[in-house]
Amino acid sequence: MMTTLTRQDLNFGQVVADILCEFLEVAIHLILYVREVYPSGIFQKRKKYNVPVQMSCHPELNQYIQDTLHCVKPLIEKNEAEKVVVVIMDKEHHPVERFVFEISQPPLLSISSETLLSHVEQLLRAVILKISVCDAVLENNPPGCTFTVLVHTREAATRNMEKVQVIKDFPWIVADEQEVHMTEPRLIPLKTMTSDIVKMQLYVEERAQKAS
Amino acid sequence: SVKDLADLSPSSTRDQKVVLLPCRTPPSRERVQLWLQAKKQFECLQ
Repeated sequence: MMTTLTRQDLNFGQVVADILCEFLEVAIHLILYVREVYPSGIFQKRKKYNVPVQMSCHPELNQYIQDTLHCVKPLIEKNEAEKVVVVIMDKEHHPVERFVFEISQPPLLSISSETLLSHVEQLLRAVILKISVCDAVLENNPPGCTFTVLVHTREAATRNMEKVQVIKDFPWIVADEQEVHMTEPRLIPLKTMTSDIVKMQLYVEERAQKAS
Repeated sequence: SVKDLADLSPSSTRDQKVVLLPCRTPPSRERVQLWLQAKKQFECLQ
């Protein structure tokens, strides 16, 4: 049965946000594992999108990732998150790698509900597989790296986040130049996916000289 | 410069692009390493 939905339809934005936030959670855990931001001992093999992935079992880290995505979700729901970026930073808090998830959602849909979810799952699986092997195309990071998540949005959209940040006691600020800027990064495209509900491009920006 | 989200003017006519980040930081690698060691010791005692 063909169903035509628009972005204004009840729950449609929520469905997309649920799918994307669940995917971003898996992706962030996997990036932290593959890029060795944390000891490999905290990661356990799980199955997501029908492929093995590594997920952290550290409660504080897991809560941090969940809280971050909980705050990002209202922006994705309203199609106001242009990019979600996982930034890996060196000891001096300068970015060495930026995993950029560029997200766009089509305004009008013509979807078959039976095939939709399995198709999206297939596409997301391909992105996950690309992340799991991305270390082959990236230089090693210096020791002592940490990470943060950036969201590219518009000033007016930040009001959608305010209530959530207060509830979760997880405030956000506008990033300064140091957190955003990377001098002449190497651009590594990882995957592009196009589905009825979301388009996503994933690429990595890698600092030319990683040793500080 | 860093500014709080509340400082962003809601009446701004130009809806500028902004990049946001959480104030809180994730646990450090050292902290996670200590937790992992303690977990292993605890498991050995079981």
